[in-house]
Amino acid sequence: MIAPAAKSPAHNWAAHLRRSPLLAFMLIYTVISGGPFLWVAVMSLRTTPEIFASPYALPSRVHWEKFVEAWTKSNYGTYFWNSTIVVVTAVALLTIIGAMVAHCLARYRFRGNRLVRFVILSGLILPPQLMILSLFQILLEYRLYNTLTGLIIVYVAGHLAITVYILEGFFAQIPQDLFDAARLDGYSDLEIFWRITLPIGVPALFTTVTLNFIILWNEFLYAVVLLTEDDKRTLPLGIMHFMGSHQLDVGMLATGLMIAIGPVILLYALFSETMIKGMTAGAVR
Amino acid sequence: MTNFGPFWRTARQSPPPSALDARRASRTTLIVLLGPALVIYAAFMIYPVLRTFWNSVHVIKPHNVEAFVGLANFKELLGNDFIFWKAVGNTAIFAIVATIADVLGGLLLALALFSGAPFVRTLRLIWFTPVLMSYVVVGVIWVWIYDYDWGLANVILRSLGLGSLEQSWLGDPRTALWSVMVTHIWKWLGFNMIIFLAALYALPGDVLGAAELDNCGWFAKLVHIIIPMLRPTIVNLTVLSFIGKMMIFDLVWIMTGGGPLWSTETVSTYVYKRAFDWNTFDLGYPSAIAVLWFLIILAFIVALTRLLRQRDRLEF
Repeated sequence: MIAPAAKSPAHNWAAHLRRSPLLAFMLIYTVISGGPFLWVAVMSLRTTPEIFASPYALPSRVHWEKFVEAWTKSNYGTYFWNSTIVVVTAVALLTIIGAMVAHCLARYRFRGNRLVRFVILSGLILPPQLMILSLFQILLEYRLYNTLTGLIIVYVAGHLAITVYILEGFFAQIPQDLFDAARLDGYSDLEIFWRITLPIGVPALFTTVTLNFIILWNEFLYAVVLLTEDDKRTLPLGIMHFMGSHQLDVGMLATGLMIAIGPVILLYALFSETMIKGMTAGAVR
Repeated sequence: MTNFGPFWRTARQSPPPSALDARRASRTTLIVLLGPALVIYAAFMIYPVLRTFWNSVHVIKPHNVEAFVGLANFKELLGNDFIFWKAVGNTAIFAIVATIADVLGGLLLALALFSGAPFVRTLRLIWFTPVLMSYVVVGVIWVWIYDYDWGLANVILRSLGLGSLEQSWLGDPRTALWSVMVTHIWKWLGFNMIIFLAALYALPGDVLGAAELDNCGWFAKLVHIIIPMLRPTIVNLTVLSFIGKMMIFDLVWIMTGGGPLWSTETVSTYVYKRAFDWNTFDLGYPSAIAVLWFLIILAFIVALTRLLRQRDRLEF
């Protein structure tokens, strides 16, 4: 999705002038969509008294030490690592398990193929709200309530459908000739999966990795129901908790927000096109 | 090539055709590849769903105290529960209004970029940023923006001399739902914009060029050519957006918790409250709400897919 070389209006001053309302609109929307994040970034480097004195001023002195304080004293370090452990593990599991299922569905004819596909893809229309209450009971019974392991498994189950859906669409387009040739060369089934489907499927795997990473890093509903102990909280829960207990400490809350959005911004700066593609993958026809 | 052996030898040497058919896999392969997914699915998707249905016709108290109550939960829900109906109303308003705003706004933004404006690539990156942020981050920022004393909304109104319009945006039952909705639209506009933009770039250039030659005005071009050709995308995004908003929880929970006076209560926040916040300690009743609401959503999905013949294109 690269912008085509549209007819540039730059050569034509009249056209330029006629377009100025449009350009003004675009400028305003840019401020509206990006401004709030800049504002938080500025606030994260200011102390709460400074912010209350003048909420929209630039930092008079840059307080980097607030990040250290947030990380250690306000427990954001714990939240950050919990989020990292949960998201990295869940995304890794989703990618490998999802690819295995997608490979089978895209490649093999077997009895029960349609049933398996129906069962897995039915997850696309099952809202979390339908499962969350009984998952609460079930995790209590399995002794997985209030554990990161429990949350990871729930995340894997909940996001398998979209992962398989995206990967299968891609895997199905890999030419069958490749697999016939590999079979003739004596590759085993698992070698075919490992040495042909996965390497060729890397772009699709990137797509699902970014999609799952963003959604799980931001996930709130499952986490708020399944985790209650402070040292288990993920970042979204930690921020909510901090907001509940220190509502007036706007400066420290802003620092916490920056810790939560930092990794996302960093990845977005590095892989913006992949991330846009990933986030919209399920919706583009 | 002098390898003429007895006929059974050559037959042995070439493996049976089925083993060479790359469309077939051994049972072991299938078990290894599908097993983990099916086990996780059975235990953490299918079983919970069935159990929620089972819960919905029971009263479920802590310590495994359960009693069968038949359809009593549903009768109570449909007949007596005014908060539930309030939540349904709010969710419906939210789903309808925010969906229309999302789709139209996304189209507008995409057209602005498509019209050959400068810095297209940079702008679309910036406009997409809110989509990547969590509801918690977005919610906290907008709670500040709506703050009565120092929030940006009131600060701007005062600086324009419109101080009489200042509001306690999230604290007033008349404005709370609309304020949350604005935040939600703000977060998702970029998503629709990207998809519309991709669809616009995929339009056949000769059609647009022909319209240009006919000296067709941009508005006529939009209404008669672009919008009809974007119909599948518009339909798709409308359905996707509508279904997603029927289940809205996070943003409402973070910004208002359903208050004030149930003015922002949605079905999902009400389910959560009945399960974990109220002192009823009963999981049966909220399960009944979840089941009923799921069936309604499912009916919408089935109806819309039938109506629009867009099978396999729906997801959340």
